[in-house]
Amino acid sequence: MATAAVLVLIAAVAMLDTASGALPDPTGAVPGGVKSGWYPFWSGMLIVVSGAAVAYRALTTPQPAEGAFRDRGSLLSVVQLVVPMIAATYLMSDRLLGFYVASGLYMAYFARFTTGYRWYWALAAGVLTPVLVYLVFEVGFHALFPKSFLYPAIPF
Amino acid sequence: MEVLGELAGGFGTALQPVNVAFLFAGCLLGLIIGVLPGLGGTSGVAILLPVSVYITQDHSPTTAVIFLAGIYWGALFGGVITSILFNIPGEPWAVALLFDGYPLAKRLGKPGLALTSSFLASFFAALIATVMLTFFARPLALKALEFGPAELFAVFLLSFTTLVGLGAESPLKSLMMIGVGLLLGAIGFDTITGEPRLAFGRIELLSGIPFVPVTIGLFGIGEILASAEEAGIGYVEKIKSTLGFKDLAEGLGALRKRLWLVVTNSIIGFWFGVLPGHGATAGSFLGYGIARQYSKNKENFGKGEVSGIMGPQSAADASAVGSLVPMLSLGVPGSPTSAVIMAGLIIWGLQPGPLLFVEQREFVWGFIASIYLGHLLTFVMCLTAVPLLAAIMRAPYGILTPFILIISVIGAYTLNNSMKDVAICVIFGIVGYWLRKMKYPLAPLVVALVLGDPTERELREALISRGGDPLVFFSTPLSTILMVLAVVLLLLPLVRSVRARRREPGATGIAA
Repeated sequence: MATAAVLVLIAAVAMLDTASGALPDPTGAVPGGVKSGWYPFWSGMLIVVSGAAVAYRALTTPQPAEGAFRDRGSLLSVVQLVVPMIAATYLMSDRLLGFYVASGLYMAYFARFTTGYRWYWALAAGVLTPVLVYLVFEVGFHALFPKSFLYPAIPF
Repeated sequence: MEVLGELAGGFGTALQPVNVAFLFAGCLLGLIIGVLPGLGGTSGVAILLPVSVYITQDHSPTTAVIFLAGIYWGALFGGVITSILFNIPGEPWAVALLFDGYPLAKRLGKPGLALTSSFLASFFAALIATVMLTFFARPLALKALEFGPAELFAVFLLSFTTLVGLGAESPLKSLMMIGVGLLLGAIGFDTITGEPRLAFGRIELLSGIPFVPVTIGLFGIGEILASAEEAGIGYVEKIKSTLGFKDLAEGLGALRKRLWLVVTNSIIGFWFGVLPGHGATAGSFLGYGIARQYSKNKENFGKGEVSGIMGPQSAADASAVGSLVPMLSLGVPGSPTSAVIMAGLIIWGLQPGPLLFVEQREFVWGFIASIYLGHLLTFVMCLTAVPLLAAIMRAPYGILTPFILIISVIGAYTLNNSMKDVAICVIFGIVGYWLRKMKYPLAPLVVALVLGDPTERELREALISRGGDPLVFFSTPLSTILMVLAVVLLLLPLVRSVRARRREPGATGIAA
């Protein structure tokens, strides 16, 4: 229900943006008679119409009283995964911690605090993963990853 | 027989040492991905797509596609192993194997028979389906070469309405997801006039929403989040999993008794896979249904009946092969996984669709030959390496989950060396997790995202050719038939819901 509403809202914004091309142009000024806004506008319309129908169904049919999450635990387990993931991918950027440091920290953090491994296992995961990635991708495939703010003082 | 000559040439290509090496690597990675419950075949192929780009730097696109498709074959076989041994599906298409595979292994104490029947069914079904692909794909492509914009648009429209009309999920939600995919695909420059659309004045949006990071996010990260919520994997029981000749002989005996089931399911599965949007997962459930429906001993189903393994597995593998046909012949992906492979073709500079059979014969036939070889290779690997693959299941969750995430990020990043793509990947990971949870189908979204631009191009070119007259879509018999079919498929769920309501008053019809 709420999901449908959010999607409908996004579609509505897109439709507003392309509303100038919504109707076919009969004057012949545009080749083919449709402007560039026509197609996205009606794609948005598709979402709005079907989304409204989904929402209508959700409102009229009896729903199980259960919420989106079974309990606080399952919500927590997802949040525990999402927050460090966003933090790690943000820190990976160029001139922040760089890919290698951030991914190592993330591995170590996850092993130590999310799953509760002993610190030396966490440390091993945090060091070995970036090394493995370096060997496979940077040495093997000549890929380049974002470097930290200390680069080129240190090599990563 | 021109086809056989082409196929022989294809085997010549596929058997080159470098191609065999990458096929082996692909199948092995696929088996591992298949065994890992947090990582599916579609996301596996998507994550390794950038690796295929590195392959094309030194080798031909043929090598790259052989590698990518190998992952698909490996994952098809591998997902089953954990279903049978541990009651944990490694892949969505292995869920149907839980019903009879695990009981046969555990309750009746025959893990060897369960595994070999599944592998044999996969192998034979893939063989039958690949033979069908060999003979069917080229005529279809040659026919498609005669299509004008109106016919092509009708084909694309038909693909979308098949997703709605024959999809397993709610048709309304499928429609919504198609709309979302089309809208995402439309962001950026208009392909005909070059005008910017939906960019809201932001430069980052002008280049459009890239397909690969979105897919890695939706499938890869979305799956990790979903499996985290299901409280990880926990304790995995030890079970004897070495296979001997006795198991193989027993499996072959079982196959001989069910040859008709496997052959029929392969043929049905193949055609089912040819329909856009239906890959192995839907095929596997269909196959289970058929096996049960026409079995003489229905009461054995759910208790470890071999037909309950061979039925779904043969249909699943045949659908996977079938889903490549529209990709090769028409440029329409038959399943989310083949949508990713198709995106690969575009990135390597090939135009998926009928022209492949004319301009890229070595590529097409090398690829088709590699489907035969890939299944043979995977089959042999499965027979010999089950204990090793089963051991992967004991990989610790606390290491595996963040590692898959890092690999996903690498996959999203390396294609364009862009952190923007990583951000897109993470955002769509969360979106994908939520959509999955709310039971929105992801396949229509992915297919619409790939097909959005070509659909619009054909639509507008057709209109331009007739000065904007919409009747152009009914100007030839073929396009008329396709358009009518598309409308019928779109209305199919509505008809079904009305009929269901009439049969049992008060029923709500299709669940929203």
